[in-house]
Amino acid sequence: MAVCIAVIAKENYPLYIRSVPTQNELKFHYTVHTSLDVVEEKISAVGKSIGDQRELYLGLLYPTEDYKVYGYVTNSKVKFVIVVDSSNTSLRDNEIRSMFRKLHNSFTDVMCNPFHNPGDQIQSRTFDGIVSGMMVQTA
Amino acid sequence: MAQCVQSVQELVQDSFTPMVAVLCSETAERMSRKNRLSFAELLRPFCRLTSEGHIRDPNNVLQSVKGLRISVNGLCPSLKPPSSTLTPAQRQVLHHIVLSSQPQEGAVSSISAGDYQLSFSGTTPWFEAYREAFLQTMPSSEHEFLNHYLACLLVVSSSETVPFEQFLKLSQEQHQIQHSGEYSSPKWFIPNTLKYYVLLHDVSQGDDHRAETVFEDMKQKYGSQGCYLLKINSRSEGPSDQDQMPDPWSQYLHKSYLHSPVSAPPPISVFFANSTKEHKRLTRGSAACALFPGVTSDTPSQSLDTAALPQLSACDTSRRASDSITSGAPGGHGACLTLNDHDRIRQFIQEFTFRGLLPHVEKNIRQLNDQLVSRKGLSRSLFTATKKWFGGGKAPEKSVAEPKSTTGLLYPPEAPELQIRKMADLCFLVQHYELAYSCYHTAKKDFLSDQAMLYAAGALEMAAVSAFLQPGAPRPYPAHYMDTAIQTYKDTCRNMVLAERCTLLSVDILKSQGKYAEAATLLIKMTSEDSDLRSALLLEQAAHCFVNMKTPMVRKFAFHMILAGHRFSKAGQRRHALRCYCQAMQVYQDRGWSLAEDHINFTIGRQSFTLQQTEKAVDAFKVILEKESQQTATQQGAFLREYLYVFKVSEGLSELPLPCIDSSATRVYFGPERRPAEGEKQAATHVSLDQEYDQDTATMWCQLELQLVCAANKGAAPSAFQPAQYCLHSQTDNLRRPLAVLQGQSNPHTRGVEEPLKVALSLSDLTLLWRFTADGDEAVLSNEDAPTALVLSCFYTLCNVCIDLCFCAGETLLVRGRQELKIQGLRLNQTKEEKMSVRHGRDERLNPIVTAPMPSWRYGVFFLHFPSALLCGEIRKAYIEFCNMSSVGLRGLRVVSTHPTFFTFGSSSSPHTPDTPVTPHSAQNCSAYKTVVASEPQQPPHVLVAAQDFLQPSSIISIPIEGGILKPGASMQLPLWLRGPDKEGVHEINFLFYYESTEKGGKISHRVLRHTVFICSSRSLSVQASACHTPRPVPSLTTPCPSRCMLRDSGVFQSEAGVKEFHIVQVSSCGQRWCLQSCINPSYHKEWCLSSRERAKLCFRAVQCRAPPDAAEKYTFADLNLASERVVSSATPCGDFFFRCCEAQTQSPAEQAQTLELDLHLIVLWKAFVVEDNKQLILEGQLHVALQNVGQKSTEPQSLDTADMMLLKFRSEPTPPPAAPKLDLSDLLRTNLSYPESHNHTFSSILTRAFLGLYLWSQRRVFCCSEGADPCTLFSWVGKSQYRLVLSPEEVLCLPLRACFYSAGVYDLSSCRVLVRPIQSDAPPESVHSHCPALIIINNA
Repeated sequence: MAVCIAVIAKENYPLYIRSVPTQNELKFHYTVHTSLDVVEEKISAVGKSIGDQRELYLGLLYPTEDYKVYGYVTNSKVKFVIVVDSSNTSLRDNEIRSMFRKLHNSFTDVMCNPFHNPGDQIQSRTFDGIVSGMMVQTA
Repeated sequence: MAQCVQSVQELVQDSFTPMVAVLCSETAERMSRKNRLSFAELLRPFCRLTSEGHIRDPNNVLQSVKGLRISVNGLCPSLKPPSSTLTPAQRQVLHHIVLSSQPQEGAVSSISAGDYQLSFSGTTPWFEAYREAFLQTMPSSEHEFLNHYLACLLVVSSSETVPFEQFLKLSQEQHQIQHSGEYSSPKWFIPNTLKYYVLLHDVSQGDDHRAETVFEDMKQKYGSQGCYLLKINSRSEGPSDQDQMPDPWSQYLHKSYLHSPVSAPPPISVFFANSTKEHKRLTRGSAACALFPGVTSDTPSQSLDTAALPQLSACDTSRRASDSITSGAPGGHGACLTLNDHDRIRQFIQEFTFRGLLPHVEKNIRQLNDQLVSRKGLSRSLFTATKKWFGGGKAPEKSVAEPKSTTGLLYPPEAPELQIRKMADLCFLVQHYELAYSCYHTAKKDFLSDQAMLYAAGALEMAAVSAFLQPGAPRPYPAHYMDTAIQTYKDTCRNMVLAERCTLLSVDILKSQGKYAEAATLLIKMTSEDSDLRSALLLEQAAHCFVNMKTPMVRKFAFHMILAGHRFSKAGQRRHALRCYCQAMQVYQDRGWSLAEDHINFTIGRQSFTLQQTEKAVDAFKVILEKESQQTATQQGAFLREYLYVFKVSEGLSELPLPCIDSSATRVYFGPERRPAEGEKQAATHVSLDQEYDQDTATMWCQLELQLVCAANKGAAPSAFQPAQYCLHSQTDNLRRPLAVLQGQSNPHTRGVEEPLKVALSLSDLTLLWRFTADGDEAVLSNEDAPTALVLSCFYTLCNVCIDLCFCAGETLLVRGRQELKIQGLRLNQTKEEKMSVRHGRDERLNPIVTAPMPSWRYGVFFLHFPSALLCGEIRKAYIEFCNMSSVGLRGLRVVSTHPTFFTFGSSSSPHTPDTPVTPHSAQNCSAYKTVVASEPQQPPHVLVAAQDFLQPSSIISIPIEGGILKPGASMQLPLWLRGPDKEGVHEINFLFYYESTEKGGKISHRVLRHTVFICSSRSLSVQASACHTPRPVPSLTTPCPSRCMLRDSGVFQSEAGVKEFHIVQVSSCGQRWCLQSCINPSYHKEWCLSSRERAKLCFRAVQCRAPPDAAEKYTFADLNLASERVVSSATPCGDFFFRCCEAQTQSPAEQAQTLELDLHLIVLWKAFVVEDNKQLILEGQLHVALQNVGQKSTEPQSLDTADMMLLKFRSEPTPPPAAPKLDLSDLLRTNLSYPESHNHTFSSILTRAFLGLYLWSQRRVFCCSEGADPCTLFSWVGKSQYRLVLSPEEVLCLPLRACFYSAGVYDLSSCRVLVRPIQSDAPPESVHSHCPALIIINNA
């Protein structure tokens, strides 16, 4: 399961970052921020070749020593980043994909909230719950 | 990767240069020492060949050698074998090099990627210096020959007695070093090293001829190709025109000690390289002392370098010594060399290279080639053309006894595999890259097949490099060779030094090909735990790679910069660490990544602090604290503690970011501190800081002030009128600089301290700082200087708040800092430009102009006995006290109020104050009124008063001051009468006092003082009055001119808590034509007393004034006292209030009087008995009623609910005038009710009758009926009360009527009706009714 899940706005500032509490939060902030370079690279590469029919899931952005970073970009250029522990080999690409899809659905729900101001930090409890479900349970 | 100065080809070439050793005789060394250079150093600037050399390859093809550089080093053998890692000393050196190389100012390039704007130093000289030093420091290794010595220069001075002996000695020394096996380093390329004999000749000292002779002999002995005569030192030592000489050594100076370590590897520090040599010489017994004249004197020049390295070990001193030997004072090199000498040296190098070195290399390549070809068969290698030439050969003899090591195979020095490598290296050194590549390629295959991994990696590396260097690039750069080499070096051989070299080369090459991503990967791979410095530098380069990519990866750049910064700080390179963090900061700043931003700022703060850059540290920490933070409370506490610690260390009153002050909420208050009321004295409220701003109130005050100013300036306001503002805040008009009087009065006050942190802070000892500028003078004073004597008109700027910030967490940190008050005016939004951009108006709130001292009351207006609650119309006496507490006299005192009827100071010139003694009773009751003992019940005294005596020209009241000036320190007390407002409820009453300074010409023309009171007025008495004519006994056809008037009063009062009863004490009249004569109530002598919700009726008779007013504006006051005392109504409080009220209701009573029939004003004076705190109090008051026309009812101007009004209304409502049918019947018929004006009767037991007569006359015959209607009046008609009769024209009829009264009193007999109709018509009869009441007084006889 994920160790860090982040939602990044179109303008590349964090809308939501949640990480496993046992680990250094700062590290994940850096990791997620750095992954945005790769996301942008991938978007620009994909955009040219296929056009509108773009795959939202970007796949593995880059592996570090400890983590694997996966990316997903909505059509409105909101980025989802999921950081997974490198040691966790049981996770298949499909599972990551479904995690992103779930995240995207929940994010859409947040955006549909008429009281949510797009561009604000996400403070939805439902979204929080969905994310918690995807995180590594540290009990 | 950062851009570097050299091209990559040059760089790679320069990394591998032919090595030449130097062995010098003592005298020769001494000769070069004259220039403060060793011989090797002397040659160094000229080691790059400017001309093209040529070499023939084994195939006899001519190859050109361009821009060859040779490396000349002094020979210093050592016993220890070289290690594969860098020694601590070498690391120290590298550390020092990086440390001393800092980014140059201005070498900043900026790049914009997306919405990021980055500026960073495009070149990284510290990295280049590191790389160069590192490549030079490479220990010579077994598996490669590139940095093995190819040749040796044997240098002997011409002054030597027997130079050949010296040559022999040096030659033997070299031979011993190379072949004895004692020394493991330096290593030599080829067993028979090229020896080149150099005769050094000092032109200024030696004998030219002798040198020539010796050289001739040398030519004989060593051949002309193997020796050289070098003439130097054409100039004798001296300071003359040194400066014009170029100093080519200076750029090699800092690197000078780096070249030696190659030949002088550990354990001795590299800095010993030269000194060891010297020591050697010393042991040989020569007088070396003479060689170093500048040892001690030169040390200061090095202090810059060494100061940065305080932790250098003991070798430091000797290093310094050796440094100063080699470098000397700047510009002090080559002092004895002329430009000619430079040319000679250059020529010598060229000669040596072309005549000595290159042929030697060429020869060796041939030999090796021959050997290889003879040893290896065609089957083994794919030698290109060479093999075809020397076809055939033996099978390789595999050496069996190869020792296996961790690095794989180790070959003996003479192994044939090594020979290929040796040949490849030679080819490489002389730039024959094609041949070198094929050799390396072959060698690589051999090594790989032998599993000699170290050798293979070396061959792979060099193959890749030579492939890259091949002109025309016949084959693509084999990057995978490099990758494999690095991998092998790192993982298999665990030789990080070689891996690093390989990486550095590869990265440069990749970079030159634009493959930044690959370069970055290599660099990042190379970071490891063993060397922080290397990791830091490589990470930084990787970061540069990311940002140099086609689409710059800014975030990766930033991230790797942070990693590099972290490593730099671990390596002790704080300056570099700081720079890295700062560069990374540009990416993270203000983009919402607050956690990362905080971390970077925190690190920047810490690094800056350790670098003694306290300001920067404070700034960085401040940023963390200023923003809304996502950190936890403990983290914030840590940040804060760190910040405060740094802040404390930093000098001066720096700005504190905390607490957040809402500057725009600053209120500036000009005035004294508020004083609490002293005893009974109640100070004027004036303006206080905490007052909420209210636009209406402000306008009201402004208008009041304008009135005052107008009055003071005889009606016209000065053009530059500016309302005084005592408390400035965000809503007031702050465009103008406020005028303030210096008396330590200003007192800004800021509200809205906001705390963004989750940590508790305690603030204490807040001080306001200011600075001021004198008029036209630029001198700026601040608080610290004594500000007591101030010049007139200076501009103050209140700038800062000084705060003691205390933070308790474990230990208590107390810092003192300041915060600037920055106030922006309101945003301008008028013009288009202003709408488009965000512009703010000026706000001069904090920049008051200080003027000359002005009088001030400093709350010197006090009120004594000032009530807070009054009954409506109640009169109360209070006192007002003015004290002038300033040092300047005060004049022109005026006051204006929103409720001018509320108070009076009394009329200044009350001429009618008869000196009748004030009754003891009134004195006892503290009555506000002036009373006299009532005289006998007779004619009420009439007093004539002019309205002017009581009326001010406007609502502004000038307060008379004795002598016109209130002197400094003086005070004055005035009585003040208050009258409860007529309307019930809470009233806000505002006073504005105005005064001027006695000194003219100040910037402030006047000052004002505000006072606001709240008075709660409660319901008291209400009065209704109406007037009617009294009946006349004799009817007359002429228009009656009433000489008497009947007045009726009726009062009702609402029960009010505490009030027991009201007594009507007196009714006074005031009018121009009429005055009250007497009370016609039979029981008028009794005090009229009303308890709650009671009603009473009083009747008075009014007569026309006996003395017709000679002056039109005079009013006659007549007092009718109902009690024993008589209040002088024309005297001060009563008359004042009366006139004020009149004025308030109408424009002017005199004006309207013309149109009015009656125009009589009544003043009803009452007393109320109030029980309060078990004490009975007597309150007094007065009510005013104006009677304007006869028959018209008028009430006292108290507004009562309609329900009450209904109760109060008399039944006898005036009937609506009849709609006249054809003829006005009332014209036809006149009625007159004749009755005795008064009737005395003893009310015993039976009813009393009165005789009444009715006269009727008419011109026409009418049918008439009369009836005494109205059964519900207080009397009744008795007997025959209805008549029906016909009146013939001109007939006068008298009808008797009888009325019955039950008690004494005054009755209105007008209730009888007369109905008339013309006799011909059948129309219903119409009423003919006289409106005027017919009053009869029944006295109790």
